[in-house]
Amino acid sequence: MTLYDPVAKVGGLLHFMLPSARLNEEKADEMPAMFADTGIPMFFKTAYDLGARKERLVVCAAGGAEVLGDDGHFKIGSRNRTMLRKIFWKNNILISGDDTGGSICRTMAIVIADGAVSSKHKGKERVLWSQ
Amino acid sequence: MVAVAHILESIESLPELPVAVTRITAMLSSGQADLKEIEKIARHDEALSMAILRWANSARYGRPGRVFDLGESIVRLGGKTLLKIVLQQKVANLFKDAGSAYGLQRGALWRGAVGGAIAAEETARKHSFKDWELCFLCGLLRDVGKLAMESFYGGEYATLISAHLTPGRSFVECERAAFGTDHAHVGAELALRWRLPARIADAIRHHHEPPAEEPEHDQLFDIVHAADMICLWAGLAIGVDGMQYKLAPHVRKGLNLDRKEAEMDIMVTWSRLRELEGIMDDTSGEGAGP
Repeated sequence: MTLYDPVAKVGGLLHFMLPSARLNEEKADEMPAMFADTGIPMFFKTAYDLGARKERLVVCAAGGAEVLGDDGHFKIGSRNRTMLRKIFWKNNILISGDDTGGSICRTMAIVIADGAVSSKHKGKERVLWSQ
Repeated sequence: MVAVAHILESIESLPELPVAVTRITAMLSSGQADLKEIEKIARHDEALSMAILRWANSARYGRPGRVFDLGESIVRLGGKTLLKIVLQQKVANLFKDAGSAYGLQRGALWRGAVGGAIAAEETARKHSFKDWELCFLCGLLRDVGKLAMESFYGGEYATLISAHLTPGRSFVECERAAFGTDHAHVGAELALRWRLPARIADAIRHHHEPPAEEPEHDQLFDIVHAADMICLWAGLAIGVDGMQYKLAPHVRKGLNLDRKEAEMDIMVTWSRLRELEGIMDDTSGEGAGP
């Protein structure tokens, strides 16, 4: 996910891998960005510390893909997506650009100068947000 | 459609397996890792010596205020860690610049290789599979066929595969539709040309589709397959193939792989990979930290 404040020009990108730090709290203390429920709050707090304001934030999400034929056994991608949305819903955060799900790989990028966010798949770029 | 043999024969600069890896593989296959031999390999390679020094003096193995020389470092790390460092370092040269045909950035194929090695080792240990070093090696080499496919097809690869990529179909099936073979089979044949033991070649051949039934079934293949899936979930070396792979049901059942176990494996693999990269970052200067 990315976040960006166009006024403060504060932004960044968080790549978390797992939905919940309850899996291993010791590891979450060591690497909070690995988990959605510790990484996302830390990401927002860091942005606020740098001058970002919640009401100005532009938030985008990409990824959360699933392997084929999962049959509900793992659903790691969809659980990541669910956790992200749950945290955003609880905190009244709207997603401005979204490219999630499926079984494809994406590369996500943010340009800090203007906040433009894009995702790329098989060389094709998709603009998720721009001013 | 092009035969595997034709692919391998037509590549002018077929990737070469470093001699050190061949020697270690022979040791592992015979069930006897000769530490003196591994030490000898390490001492005669400058980049390897550098890596060993850094490892022995890292936060994990070192002691504050104490610097170990090469001899002390080798003793301190012990044979098993030394063996992994040698393999990682030597195989790095094979992978470090490859992967662009598969839509990977420089170094990504290497990260996937090491991630697979770590995941295979962890899975083997968890299931008390005694040949964990063999699992480590097979995890490391499992995608070696991508090197050969990339060398043969070059920039054409992406165009040819894109016409056959179908949602819901596994990537190896898509490769077979496009090329008449897939990177796993090509990798296995390459391993045989390197004169690696047939079991290692088969572990590479079956890393996406391990056989469920006897007599072809082998727990080594299951472990390497599971390691490959863990790397996918961890987001390592995912390129044009995306996540278009399937976990074999018999592997899920046989290795008791449920959601929690999978998440633990992802966490451990990622953490160990980060740790390795942290230690190796300054040594390589080659962008290929294990």
